[in-house]
Amino acid sequence: MFSHNFKYTLKILLKNKILLFWTFAFPILLGTFFHMAFSNIENSEKLKIIKIAIINNENYQKEELFKNTFTHLSDKKNKDRLFSVTYTNIEKAKKLLEEKKITGYLIFEKENIKIKVNENGINETILKNIVDEINCNQDIIKTLLNKNIHYQKIQNIITQNEVKLNNITSKNLSYTMIEYYTLIAMTCLYGGILSMFITNYKLANTSSVGKRTSISPIHKLKMLLASLLASYIVQIIGIAILFMYTIFVLKVNYSSPIPYIILLALLGSLAGLSLGISIATLIKKDENTKTGILISITMLGCFLSGMMGITMKYIIDKNIPILNKINPANMITDGFYSLYYYDTLNRYVLNIVSLLLFSICMILLSYKGLRRQKYDSI
Amino acid sequence: MENIIEVKNLTKEYKNKLALDNLSFEVKKGEILGLLGPNGSGKSTTINCLLSLLSFKQGNIKILGKEMEPNAYDLKKEIGVVFQEIAVLEELTVYENIDYFCGLYIKEKEKRKQYIEEALDLVGLIEYKKFYPKQLSGGLKRRLNIACGIAHKPKIIFLDEPTVAVDPQSRNNILEGIKKLRKEGATIIYTTHYMEEAEILCDRIIILDKGKILAEGNKDSLKKLADIEEKITVEIKEIKKENLEKIKTFKTVEEVNINKNILTITYKKGKNNLEELMKFLKQNNITYDKVFSERPTLNDVFLNLTGKDLRD
Repeated sequence: MFSHNFKYTLKILLKNKILLFWTFAFPILLGTFFHMAFSNIENSEKLKIIKIAIINNENYQKEELFKNTFTHLSDKKNKDRLFSVTYTNIEKAKKLLEEKKITGYLIFEKENIKIKVNENGINETILKNIVDEINCNQDIIKTLLNKNIHYQKIQNIITQNEVKLNNITSKNLSYTMIEYYTLIAMTCLYGGILSMFITNYKLANTSSVGKRTSISPIHKLKMLLASLLASYIVQIIGIAILFMYTIFVLKVNYSSPIPYIILLALLGSLAGLSLGISIATLIKKDENTKTGILISITMLGCFLSGMMGITMKYIIDKNIPILNKINPANMITDGFYSLYYYDTLNRYVLNIVSLLLFSICMILLSYKGLRRQKYDSI
Repeated sequence: MENIIEVKNLTKEYKNKLALDNLSFEVKKGEILGLLGPNGSGKSTTINCLLSLLSFKQGNIKILGKEMEPNAYDLKKEIGVVFQEIAVLEELTVYENIDYFCGLYIKEKEKRKQYIEEALDLVGLIEYKKFYPKQLSGGLKRRLNIACGIAHKPKIIFLDEPTVAVDPQSRNNILEGIKKLRKEGATIIYTTHYMEEAEILCDRIIILDKGKILAEGNKDSLKKLADIEEKITVEIKEIKKENLEKIKTFKTVEEVNINKNILTITYKKGKNNLEELMKFLKQNNITYDKVFSERPTLNDVFLNLTGKDLRD
């Protein structure tokens, strides 16, 4: 019975043109659109060096790690040069910023570092990320020093820190990468349309076919499991096609370890699958309305995680971080983002765990509806 | 005869509104039981309760001697249902649809293949087996709906208004198919609001209204519940008032009505009424076009019991 259900669910899903459009064709069309729209912008911005100023005060002179990093990243001999740094006082820095001659400037105070920018954009985000990253490493070093770790070991860590900011160079930094990450996130979540469609066919209170399957002599959850597995596989095929299309046709370089990318895509798809099941069971509307709700949730999630520009992701991260913490599209996008930009896996793992928790929550929310066998009305 | 289904005191409420009011009835082995009633009388609700799809306030349902519950899978194996709404998958062909639903009951591929062919033959869809539902007419879709519900050869079949919005050819095909199923030994519960179908098909009929059983029996015993025995309708060119008064004085006449050119006479008893009327019309030189004589229908029974028409 499992194979019978599995086989027919595959057949049903692969013959439904609307489902195929949303899960297979639409992401490819959108990816092509991104490629056409943004590749020129990226090419024109590729060689631009970010101009910044650093207030050269006493506090800055004490920050060895910052000094070394900025010297390295602004070294003209460095082929991966990212910054052009002006060391100046605060009045001149303010004037440079007002005249838009620099992206921003850094003021080193006793306890913290202030970043002054006038706008939100890719350059400002890069500056902030780098400062955050150096700060983070500095904290680690301080902790190690407090624990009396040998100086040479710390020195090694400092040396490693220079490469810790993985690929953040004007050559490798891709303006459109975030678009592709959100595109993958969107495709993962659009997989929810498949599971929603299938769940509707198994519940007596959602469709006439659901009534027919509910009176069959097979346990509902067993039947549902076979069908959901089939929809998950179709979803994975969709993601795989999108990956291949972006890599081989659009020449996108994800430059992250493949197993990590696969794990993220699998869990992202699981999140989409569970989102679809919960919409099917919790919302008592017709199928078209449910599809509309799922697409709206997905598009909003992708927008907030930076699909229409990384600035939005930055704004949400800064002002309403909880929104992006519960946003599955952001979990997927941020997972790819952290794989691309960081050497450490901490942020990636956090996103993986968040996706898993999100999926479990959605399944638990749907569980009552899935288990229910008698209804008050149908 | 053995009871296949036993329903006792079944009561169902929808948001404090009584949908089924203490229904009790049995279905005997091999019979076709008709549930007859207007829309909203509780026919589909009764079936959904029997199938354990709907919860109910009180009552007891036994099928094949066992309590019917959602996880009574051994009972579900013996049941086939044709719902009022068409429940087929648009992505699968006619053959695949039947195979999918039949496959939920029958594991063996060869046996299933044979059952599918027989179901296709029964509903007259053999030449359409490679068609998709969207390529079928409404009537053919209804036939597919039936094939999907009965292909696994169930002992008990619930048919919930299977002929709604169906063309006459498909309707005849469906009714013939149901008769064949009964011949093969199935027990059938058939809901309809078409009294003619109930009369043609059913061994016993339960008349429902507002969730209550109004009457129960075979068609002849039910018709005795109607006040009239015969109704004669005459298309007449002209009739004088005095002649109408004379007709009213006939021994068995209950009521005389004239509406435009249509004269309707209802009788309490049903012998020699037509002969007497024809004689009277001839003697009084009253010219007429067409004459119809009707025995009471289930609609007359329903009218007598509720004061309203079955089609209302």
